[in-house]
Amino acid sequence: MTIAHHPSDETLLRLAAGTLGAGPALVVAVHLEGCAACRERLAGLEAVGGAILHEMPPAPLSADLFGRTMERLEGMPPTPVQDRVPKRQPALGIDLPRAMRRCDVGPWRWLGPGFKWSKVGIAGDPEAKVMLLKGRAGLHLPAHGHTGLEFMQVLSGSLSDERGQYFPGDLDEADDQVDHRPVVGQDSDCVCLAALEGDTRLHGWLGRLLRPIVGF
Amino acid sequence: MDAAGPHLPDRLAEQVRPEARLIVLNGARQKEVLPSPEELTRLLEAVAQARDRNAFARLFAYFAPRVKSFLIRSGLTDAVAEEVTQEVMIAVWRKASYFDPGRGGASTWVFTIARNRRIDRLRRSRLRTTDHFLDPSDEPDTPPSGEDIALMTEREKGVRKALATLSSEQATIVRLSFFSEKPHAEIARELGIPLGTVKSRVRLALNRLRTLLDNDP
Repeated sequence: MTIAHHPSDETLLRLAAGTLGAGPALVVAVHLEGCAACRERLAGLEAVGGAILHEMPPAPLSADLFGRTMERLEGMPPTPVQDRVPKRQPALGIDLPRAMRRCDVGPWRWLGPGFKWSKVGIAGDPEAKVMLLKGRAGLHLPAHGHTGLEFMQVLSGSLSDERGQYFPGDLDEADDQVDHRPVVGQDSDCVCLAALEGDTRLHGWLGRLLRPIVGF
Repeated sequence: MDAAGPHLPDRLAEQVRPEARLIVLNGARQKEVLPSPEELTRLLEAVAQARDRNAFARLFAYFAPRVKSFLIRSGLTDAVAEEVTQEVMIAVWRKASYFDPGRGGASTWVFTIARNRRIDRLRRSRLRTTDHFLDPSDEPDTPPSGEDIALMTEREKGVRKALATLSSEQATIVRLSFFSEKPHAEIARELGIPLGTVKSRVRLALNRLRTLLDNDP
């Protein structure tokens, strides 16, 4: 299926620059897995980073830095041992994207009728606001707005709101200008991965529903 | 060097003509001979395949001062920037076999390592290890074709040309986006425009950059 919704240029630039938060970065990484066009866009922006590095005026180094570095290299194995043991993840009824294989993923928990969530933890960033959401076919989510950016990647099923329809592979960025009322497609349940940036909070019901349970 | 100071316009002007830069080497001022992208790729491959220390020394001489400069410009102190630079160069030595010239140039690869180490350093107060979704050593190894490598070398050159083609305001926006954790505030200050206008200027700059990158691969 053709992917219709992609991360913005600025989001990809922030990912390339390393200034996008860990939560949004995870959601975009999942999108990149399925989107060759965005991988290509990101590679171009990382190359801009390489060009900026190239043109930096060289800073003076301590005279012994090279020597100290070589000393530290002595006795190190040539290739670092990869500590890539997959996290224990509960059976959620979906194949999780590769980008999530090192995340802590909780079991489905009840959030409302036909509406479940699962907490996603990112090693190294306990404050990241990331979760999997699962809505049954036809579910109407409460209307809500956001104080900052919300990133949402569809993993299965479909979703629509006032601005468009989202299928697996699509990534939606909703900023503080967007007030929307997402509806799950009629054909099947929908699972998506969502992240809120920084101190973003949800307005409206959904916020009031989520805050005491999810914690944000 | 006052790389962490607020005199950005001077430094940006300085960055426009890298070939005119001088470095202090063994007390004598000499013209730095910049290795070509192809040469850097060859040196990285020599480290990967033969643990070639001379090749590594040349990579160090080229990259370490630039990585340090980049880190200082990103807000690290001189001492921390040097520590992180050492970590970056150690990663270059140890991970050289993961460098894939079919995916990007040597400068881009080292940039992504420096970027990830900077993230680690900035988050260190509240973490053990950071999960990098864009770890350059994270992909399955597929040997690049000669065509891939030629394409990447072209891209590297195209990107440098694109940066030079941007208007000075747009180039400033792109650079600040790489240096600053909160680029919008810094862009507003630097360009003397209201914060509310920054978003649309950033969008314009990125549109232009995208057009340049697309047309000149």
